[in-house]
Amino acid sequence: MDAVRERCVTGIENLDNILNGGIPRGNTVLVTGSCGTGKTTLSMEFLVHGALAGEPSLFLSVTEASDKLLKNVIPYDFFDDSLIKKGKLIFIDLPVIYELFGMSKGELDFEDIDLLVKAIEDIVRSLGIKRLVIDSITSVCYQLRTEEKIRQFILKVGKSLSDYGCTSILVSEISPSSERYSLYGVEEAIADGIILMGNLQRRGDLLRTLQVVKMRGTNHSRAKYVLDLTPSGVLLVPLLKGGSV
Amino acid sequence: MNAPEIAKKLEDIPPGSAITIDMKIDSYFDFIRATLDLFATRKDLDCIYVTSTIPSDSILNALSVLEVDIDRVYFVDCISHSMMGKTSQSDHVIFVESATMLENIMLKVQYLMKKSKREGKVVIIDSVNTLAIHNNTKILSEFFHILLNNLRSKDAYIFILNMEGQGSEELDNMMNLVADDKLRIPTGDEEGDTNEEVTE
Repeated sequence: MDAVRERCVTGIENLDNILNGGIPRGNTVLVTGSCGTGKTTLSMEFLVHGALAGEPSLFLSVTEASDKLLKNVIPYDFFDDSLIKKGKLIFIDLPVIYELFGMSKGELDFEDIDLLVKAIEDIVRSLGIKRLVIDSITSVCYQLRTEEKIRQFILKVGKSLSDYGCTSILVSEISPSSERYSLYGVEEAIADGIILMGNLQRRGDLLRTLQVVKMRGTNHSRAKYVLDLTPSGVLLVPLLKGGSV
Repeated sequence: MNAPEIAKKLEDIPPGSAITIDMKIDSYFDFIRATLDLFATRKDLDCIYVTSTIPSDSILNALSVLEVDIDRVYFVDCISHSMMGKTSQSDHVIFVESATMLENIMLKVQYLMKKSKREGKVVIIDSVNTLAIHNNTKILSEFFHILLNNLRSKDAYIFILNMEGQGSEELDNMMNLVADDKLRIPTGDEEGDTNEEVTE
């Protein structure tokens, strides 16, 4: 079954091993977790590796201006500034699109959703984008407000991206105590995959963790891993059990 | 046994081996000097030194007094932060907050392995006794099992220091299970009646 779906190799070696070769191409994956768990860093590395492999990659920033975001990105050993100059790695602030289409009024209606999906689709098609990150989908959902509109937006944007062979990551913010994987519960039901990132407190130590909860189109490990954000990228090792957790 | 004699003994060890080094505290710096001289200087390998016993600063100072070349030595220091002391920033030292964060020790070793451009590596874990102060044997055996298998697959030379008189039967049994061999470094006083022993 795994051989059937082409893979989008994330370039994060340990994650690709967990996913049995990478994310099935065209999947829409929810990367979810509370603050400081490494969601943006993981997503950014996914894009940088894609750009290095020649796949045009797009970061749609909703919460933070791209230039500020870039300043805070870990100085990767493998990062190459020319990726941005050559247009292989593209940053767009979503509020600019909102403004362009007159959507700055607050709550978006169904017509706005169609316009927004169309705008994203046009960018993906015209630039040949193969990897896309929306950081964060939670901020977009704030402007959609109702479950029905959130469902429509994610379904439409997911289908559209998948049709173009674009693999996407939707960054979702949840509170540390949340029992769900997304704020509205809709995002997790629609996504093809869920990567849960968290902070695990053990005997006073705080460990960053990652767990692939769901990934359509591939067998994968569902175990919990501990991660580190390093200049060589995201590294993962298994969470030790040892009877002490 | 002095440093050159220890180095001679270590020469026979093949890459990808995990060896428990049983020794008394008197042999501590002779062993480190021998290992760095053989693997870092002569074999031109990078050395990853995981310390939970003595802060990296103190080891670096001692090595500099002994005139040992430390250019190829990289520390994973799991003790300095716990001591709440001032830590100096260096490209050669990575700190782990506590010796209880075994996963983070594995991650830092993995990072240094990845960062190093040299083919082979030697990894010293100093020591099983001090790691056992902070962790129970169950989690420690799991840690060693994963870490050593990972390093073996990368053909690293692995030495786990075990200070005589500071362990327990349970700890010895664990090391017998996870390591490939045991090398005992006799002190000068013992050398008349016994020489180094290598046991499986």
